[in-house]
Amino acid sequence: MLNYILKRVAQSGIVLLVVGLVAFSMFRFVGDPIDNMLGQERTVADIERLRSDLGLDLPFPVQYYKFLEGAVQGNFGVSYRQGRAVSEIIAERAPATLELAAVSGFLAISMGIILGVFTAIRRDGWASHLIMTVSLIGVSLPTFLIGILLIYVFSVDLGWLPSFGRGDVVDLGFWSTGFLTQSGLLALILPSITLGLYQMTLIMRLVRSEMLEVLRQDYIRFARARGLSERVVNFRHALKNTLVPVITVTGLQLGSIIAFAIITESVFQWPGLGLLFINAIQFVDIPVMAAYLMLISVMFVLINLIVDLLYVFVDPRLREGGI
Amino acid sequence: MTDISQNKPQSRIAAFWDSDLAYAFRHSPIAMVSFLTVFLLVFSALCAPLIAPFNPYDPASLDLMNGFTPPMTSNDFTGAEFMLGTDDQGRDVLSTILYGMRISLFVGFSAVMFAMILGISLGLIAGYIGGWTETIIMRIADVQLTFPSILVAMLIFGIAKGVTPIEYRDQMAIWVLIIAIGLSDWVQFARVVRGATLVEKNREYVLAAQLIGRSSPVIMLRHILPNVLSPVLVIATISLALAIIAEATLSFLGVGAPPTQPSLGTLIRIGQGFLFSGEWWILFFPSCTLLALALSVNLLGDWLRDALNPKLR
Amino acid sequence: MKTITYSAMLLALSTTAHAESFKWAGTTDPQTMDPHAVNSAPVLGFLNNVYEGLVRRGKDMAVEPALATSWEPIGDGEGWRFHLREGVTFHDGASFTADDVIFSYERASSEPADVKGWFAPISEVKKVDDYTVDFMTSAPNPIFPDSIANWMIMDADWTASVGADLPNKDAGNAATLQANGTGAYMLKDRQPGLQTTLVAYDGWWGDDIGNVTEATFTPIQNPATAVAALLSGDVDMINPVPIQDAARLEGSAEVEVIKGIEARVIMLGFAQGADVLKYGADAGKPNPFLDVKVREAVAKAINVPAILRTIMRGNAEEASQLVSPAMRGYSTAHSERPAFDVDGAKALLAEAGYADGFSFGLKCPNDRYLNDEAVCQAVTAMLAQVGITAELDAMPVRNYWPELREDNFDMYLLGWSPGTFDHEHPVRFLASTPNAEKKLGSWNFGDYSNARIDELLPMIQSEIDDTKRQAMIDETTAIYQSEHAYVPLYIQPLVWGTRSNIDLTQRPDNFFILRWASVN
Repeated sequence: MLNYILKRVAQSGIVLLVVGLVAFSMFRFVGDPIDNMLGQERTVADIERLRSDLGLDLPFPVQYYKFLEGAVQGNFGVSYRQGRAVSEIIAERAPATLELAAVSGFLAISMGIILGVFTAIRRDGWASHLIMTVSLIGVSLPTFLIGILLIYVFSVDLGWLPSFGRGDVVDLGFWSTGFLTQSGLLALILPSITLGLYQMTLIMRLVRSEMLEVLRQDYIRFARARGLSERVVNFRHALKNTLVPVITVTGLQLGSIIAFAIITESVFQWPGLGLLFINAIQFVDIPVMAAYLMLISVMFVLINLIVDLLYVFVDPRLREGGI
Repeated sequence: MTDISQNKPQSRIAAFWDSDLAYAFRHSPIAMVSFLTVFLLVFSALCAPLIAPFNPYDPASLDLMNGFTPPMTSNDFTGAEFMLGTDDQGRDVLSTILYGMRISLFVGFSAVMFAMILGISLGLIAGYIGGWTETIIMRIADVQLTFPSILVAMLIFGIAKGVTPIEYRDQMAIWVLIIAIGLSDWVQFARVVRGATLVEKNREYVLAAQLIGRSSPVIMLRHILPNVLSPVLVIATISLALAIIAEATLSFLGVGAPPTQPSLGTLIRIGQGFLFSGEWWILFFPSCTLLALALSVNLLGDWLRDALNPKLR
Repeated sequence: MKTITYSAMLLALSTTAHAESFKWAGTTDPQTMDPHAVNSAPVLGFLNNVYEGLVRRGKDMAVEPALATSWEPIGDGEGWRFHLREGVTFHDGASFTADDVIFSYERASSEPADVKGWFAPISEVKKVDDYTVDFMTSAPNPIFPDSIANWMIMDADWTASVGADLPNKDAGNAATLQANGTGAYMLKDRQPGLQTTLVAYDGWWGDDIGNVTEATFTPIQNPATAVAALLSGDVDMINPVPIQDAARLEGSAEVEVIKGIEARVIMLGFAQGADVLKYGADAGKPNPFLDVKVREAVAKAINVPAILRTIMRGNAEEASQLVSPAMRGYSTAHSERPAFDVDGAKALLAEAGYADGFSFGLKCPNDRYLNDEAVCQAVTAMLAQVGITAELDAMPVRNYWPELREDNFDMYLLGWSPGTFDHEHPVRFLASTPNAEKKLGSWNFGDYSNARIDELLPMIQSEIDDTKRQAMIDETTAIYQSEHAYVPLYIQPLVWGTRSNIDLTQRPDNFFILRWASVN
């Protein structure tokens, strides 16, 4: 067991190194940061000087080495755009993204499981068909369009919800939260629906198909034959057994919620990491891009690792088997 | 003899007609409607040059003065009339949708094919050979999952710009999209195929094939692959819808098909700029087309998943 | 002394009585609060509310006294003498003197400063007394006071105490995030990329200030989101309003649209230093744009009125030269743009030996100017109608400038807004033969070159007599127009949107001056 964990951790480390290398080798193709940092009256000499100040004239392996050297000490450099330490900026932006991800993840999981169970139990009911079809609309339009349409309807037309931003936030010192104010909570509604819709559909379909399969199993039939109530059969026995694949997919999806928050955040001007990253691309802010990618990679690798370990605990066969 | 040879295809069709799949299809109105929609859309996209009233790719045919003509009304300056109106460049919206759908479908199909071939091969190899090969492939899959597809596309876009000779850059965008979407999609195929292969490779028929000395590639392709195809088919259908949507999303981030040769996604990206200005048709019609296409493909994929799952019948 | 305190108290009372908060949104966040670090419109425009220069521009762009009350030339064009305003205090309470001016000059003209180009003509700066400063120029320089309207004065002691003696673009310093100016508003809170809050400065020396006591700026990149924010009342003002939405917003009772003409001229440029074409089917063949007839044909082939009507929705004006009529030195004698004339363009192409047309590459940014990509698409269609095929390659500006610097184009789109509001500016940057040493032609990507213009430029720069100067500018304009060095298309419009209860003034340089805004 320990051996397995160590092996996975070592592999994860290599994954991170590769991600960093690949990402870094590609930055120079994103564009040139220099033009955004100098004004109209810059001279050729100014361009050359700034380039060498930033270390952009160094060969690529040297740049990567310097980045790694800083990164292992927790120093991701200074943002070209903001002139501040990248770690500081990320710490400032992370709460917004994490709160958004948490709310939309919660929405996706709770609604996904409820609707998935419902559509599985009432497999051929008209309500199930309706839910299945309507939920597909959510994944048949691009996220940005859904976000803009929601803004159009609920902010502009009805005037119920704010059109952008996070509302008022309360600063707890290490964390800024939008959960404690009314405007903060209202501001969460549209972006979290936009972001969670896709995941909700996915989880709902997964729960449904797993449930359908489980409900066919003999032990469920026996349980029914024993006269257990429908509710006990459906939730105690059937749902429990669908949870292994749901954990896997949900785990991976939680990571991608954070990654795909990029689109939602830029539509709603949500002041999180996704927006930071989009702006970093726009202004070729290499230190921010690099740090963001490393952060996302660490998160994915961790989630992968946790999901794999959870498997071992949930499914006893794997514990004795080939690991 | 002649009778038989003539009857043979018919009997195959008949056999298919009587098969479980076709039976399920005939009894699912949703599947039939979706199939018909997809068929009609694909057909009209393929025949776009024949049925589209204009060729939106020919800049010489455009008249800027036709810009922003509403549907079914005549333009104030030129008097021209367009069924679904015109966009900001004076392009006929109907024609751009038909041509745009061609690009969206081409990108979608090619990306899924690319992802499927890559995913199946790597999945088979990982599952069948195991050991270090498997570890390396599955860790590459992890790396792949780490990178948001959006980012993969942006980076590939940048690289392609850097390495392609200047004269080929114009056609490059489409291929970059295919590779980027395909690359972000192969992991699913690889995971499913690997999982199925792990199960199949210990079955008797595989052991038998190994005993009579069949080579590994033959066993993988001839024996294992056919048995793991149905989940692949389901994933491929859903992936097609996802790929078409992904192309639209990338377009929003500025790495989609170029506006001179717009895909549905590019049309929606351009159209969303006119949401508040009153020219609703520039956004509405492409969005509806995309919705109809993706929704039908998704519904088909859904139906296929249920129909191919023997345990659910 | 007592009366001053009394009136200051009255002012404080009256402002608290009408305390108004104001929220506005723009596309770009000012990347720094350091007024000398980056010479870009978002930074200078924003900081004009916090910092002040010796001179400033009024609502009509005319230069007016700010921290200097008056100025006059020294001797026979040897320099300029500025008389400073007395009794001015910085936001931290320190008083403003000649030492701050000298310090700000040294800081702004230092090597890492991005605005040092403004001080290229200066040979020496001398403190005469606490409230008088002399700027000596190496040659007579009639436009020097005009050219420093955005040069902002920092407090020598404060800047030294926070360790921001020199601007630092790559690593930043205290002045990147904090500010201590003399302007009408103080920087209260700065969250880069998210929001920036200003509050009215009670100790400001001027009285030309509206009722806004606290103002918050938020960058919103997605235009649709910005329009939604304005319509739903989440912000009081947005800049810019997407051109296509202007008409619809004007129809709304709650929102008003303020339109004007910006200083920026949008034009097409040609590769005039390349022997062969680089893009399209004819790549590698001799470059047709070396022939003035081909360039003239391009100018005639473009239906600018149609672009203005559809893509610009009637909000822009045709351009005939490198500056708009509002700029100093605009050449009224050359205000005609070649008329749209398809047959004329075809005839010119035939004369030049391209009756069958040719194919080439057009580079275009897609996130720099208003509707830039749509304009390039329209240009492509119009050129196709006279038989020449443009292969359009539109890209974000982060890729665009590097491409232009590496000469990867046959034709390109460029917008130019003269920082000095003078015709000399684009002549220096766009029409002079590129010369890195003399810092000339640094944005002349197409390598246009004319010996007479190169000869005229230094004469324009040092001519004090307005009539003579204008004659030289007219001659320059005639040359670059007749050679079709560039094809000026139109002057970019300024479109701002406000809630109906807001009064404000739009300045042609797209700067939003907060003290001219009032909430009713």
